[in-house]
Amino acid sequence: MSTFNVGDLGYMVPYLILAIAGMLVVMAEAFFKGSDRSALSGLTVVGALASTVSSIILVRQLGADERHVLLGGMLVADRMSYVLAAVFAATTAATALISPAHQREHGWQNGEYYGVMLLSASGMVMLAHASDLCTVFLGVETMSIGVYVMTGLRRRSKRGNEAALKYFLMGAFATGFLLYGTSNLLRMQSALASTSNPGLVVAGGFLLVIAFGFKVAAVPFHMWAPDAYEGAPSPVTAFMAAAVKAGAVAAMLRLFGTALGGDVLPFGTLGWASPLVVIAALTITFGNIAAVRQENLKRMLAYSSISHGGVLLVGLAALGLGSATADSAIVFYLIAYCVTTIGAFSVIIYVGSAKRERLLVEDWAGLAGRHPAAALAMTVCLLSLGGMPPTGGFFAKFYLFKAATEVYDGQLLWLVVIGVVNSAVSIYYYLRIVTAMYFREANEPFSPTRSTALVLVMGLCAALVLELGLMPGFWLRLVG
Amino acid sequence: MLNDVFFNVGYGHFLVLAGMLFVIGVAGVVVRRNALIMMMSIELMLNAANMTLLTFSRMWGNGSGHAFALIVIAVAAAEAAVGLAIVVAVFRGRRHIDVDRLNTLRS
Amino acid sequence: MTQRLLLLLVAFGLIFGAALVAPDLADAQPTAIDLRKGGATGPSPDLHPHSDLVEGSGKGLALLFWAFAAATVGGALFVVTRKNLIAAVMGMVGSFLGISAIYMMLYASFLSVIQMLVYAGAIMVLFVFVIMILNRPEDDPIGRTGRLGKVLAGVAILYLFARLASLLMSVRPLDAASAAAVPPPVDGNAWGSTKAVGIELFTNYVFPFEAISILLLVAVVGAIAIARPLRDDAAQEGA
Repeated sequence: MSTFNVGDLGYMVPYLILAIAGMLVVMAEAFFKGSDRSALSGLTVVGALASTVSSIILVRQLGADERHVLLGGMLVADRMSYVLAAVFAATTAATALISPAHQREHGWQNGEYYGVMLLSASGMVMLAHASDLCTVFLGVETMSIGVYVMTGLRRRSKRGNEAALKYFLMGAFATGFLLYGTSNLLRMQSALASTSNPGLVVAGGFLLVIAFGFKVAAVPFHMWAPDAYEGAPSPVTAFMAAAVKAGAVAAMLRLFGTALGGDVLPFGTLGWASPLVVIAALTITFGNIAAVRQENLKRMLAYSSISHGGVLLVGLAALGLGSATADSAIVFYLIAYCVTTIGAFSVIIYVGSAKRERLLVEDWAGLAGRHPAAALAMTVCLLSLGGMPPTGGFFAKFYLFKAATEVYDGQLLWLVVIGVVNSAVSIYYYLRIVTAMYFREANEPFSPTRSTALVLVMGLCAALVLELGLMPGFWLRLVG
Repeated sequence: MLNDVFFNVGYGHFLVLAGMLFVIGVAGVVVRRNALIMMMSIELMLNAANMTLLTFSRMWGNGSGHAFALIVIAVAAAEAAVGLAIVVAVFRGRRHIDVDRLNTLRS
Repeated sequence: MTQRLLLLLVAFGLIFGAALVAPDLADAQPTAIDLRKGGATGPSPDLHPHSDLVEGSGKGLALLFWAFAAATVGGALFVVTRKNLIAAVMGMVGSFLGISAIYMMLYASFLSVIQMLVYAGAIMVLFVFVIMILNRPEDDPIGRTGRLGKVLAGVAILYLFARLASLLMSVRPLDAASAAAVPPPVDGNAWGSTKAVGIELFTNYVFPFEAISILLLVAVVGAIAIARPLRDDAAQEGA
């Protein structure tokens, strides 16, 4: 009863490209000694972009309702999985582009970094395809272990080590919950699911919600996130905030949507949506309140990313309660969020230098006078994070909340109100940075990190954020 | 009644034993502050999950739990390797691995 | 100290007692439950969870179960309470021995051996190596901060465990209608053998089996990159 079919490999091309490119880069590292590591970054970008392009080709090839079960039900290929794969691969390419400048400036040139990044991204793409508890688990682990390593690779930095340890311990703790929940749900994915012990289903679903609460940094389980985000090198923080968060959300989409739901169990019957609603409300609110008080930019973005995770959880809860458009709204939100986050962090890397990392809000005073382009890019990204028109962040929030209002009986209306109020609150702390950049005098000259790739990513992200906001039609068609 | 619980060992017993291991593991992570002990507690949690997998596998006449458990063991080994490397790196910088005393990262 | 001795004595007593009561463990292997017996009429007595392990094996296997369960839980408690890291590792090894025996009772013979080889053999040795490298076995066992929170967390955990345990004890095999759809377990000793796991691994689980190599590659590369001596960096920069 062989379940291996060579034809299935054709549907896994984005995954295979990332995995093989990762292995090649790991091998190639042996041939690039000394400080010349930018070539490795180039290879990584090529691999990740090839994966992105192949995903886009496959999206266009597949019909809207087409769905292929691969390798005996371990993986599934549909349009959503390829859109997500394209997001992960493109985010990886962008991270690989902004990394060399930071490594050179801060003296942590490291060849293993790029290979590990690609392999970690392959774990995310596996999550995008996962349709079985086993592949969800394996994808989460491949992604997470890679990122623990990336966090710890700035080895001379005590803060980097500390962040890596905290991130690792909490991540591994979450793995324990994930696995124990999974083990209680073994066999739930089969046609027998509905006849199994309902108490077990609820317990397992609850444990999985806890596990992904840790991975998405939702509020009672978020304590590792600010430390990890602050201590990790900035490109890794960007990767963590954008790709890893998107990966965890994709895992939830797949786990609750495909592996446990799908044709067998109608969505939401597992009872996981109700704890998710509470967690989402807490996460949005607490993330914002904590972000208001932060002076450190990376910490502020960490809390802001926690709050964005809460918004995504609203989408997932809406999905669980039967909103038909929630999944495409979540994917659109992920695209906008990843682009914006990478853009913001690339500006942070650009503005900082080896002498001064310029992570405090007052360090950014007067940036607009000296480097107007960087200030403009940052402003666009911050407005998008705050959900202001005409940026992608606004439309993403709009569609997601709209999907949440479509839930039967308006059960999530109060959550939408909380989300909108918090969106307004968040504008306060984003605008603090904008006013510092535009309306205050610089107290000392800036010495930004010079790098063409960095400027390219900055410009591209800012442009994309505007494009997502001004012409969302193309992107909405893409996500369905 | 007691005789029944003691001598009539069934799937429930295995599952509760696994649950106990899991709870001890969780308590270890929550209470202890030594990074190595926390890692060991996490290993306990993973073992609890494996035991549950094998029990359900037996109970539901489904061999897939065994393959899953093998994969879990491999993942646990990989995680332990990376975790111990991080612990060594942290120790190199500060000569202790007490998580409560790691506080360079605070606003 | 006396407490520890007492615990050891009880554990040994249990094991020896079990060995005395169960002279013929070879015959104690019950045949696998046949889930099909129930037919479509509803749950039959054959689906009772207690039918698998003990019936036909007397009370010896039950005693063995309790002995190894005690080893498992005792070892685990040792891990989370010891101040000395090496003692904790030894508790862990004891726990893994118990778990491995429990796997045998679940007819997971292959996994049982793997558990011994990989966990007790490899992972624990890795832990011991690191502890020896760090050479700092003493540690304050319980965190100093947030005592109250920890007590509350403990109560919450215990409550949740009680709920979970009562749930887990009540889990039954699938009802007869769905049981008919389950393929019958392969009998007795073949279940969980290397062959059975191998077949599973190369048919249904062929993708995870291949994909795990990527995870292991990340771990190997990452562990070396993070833990190698710092001076290697300087040497590389110069090269």
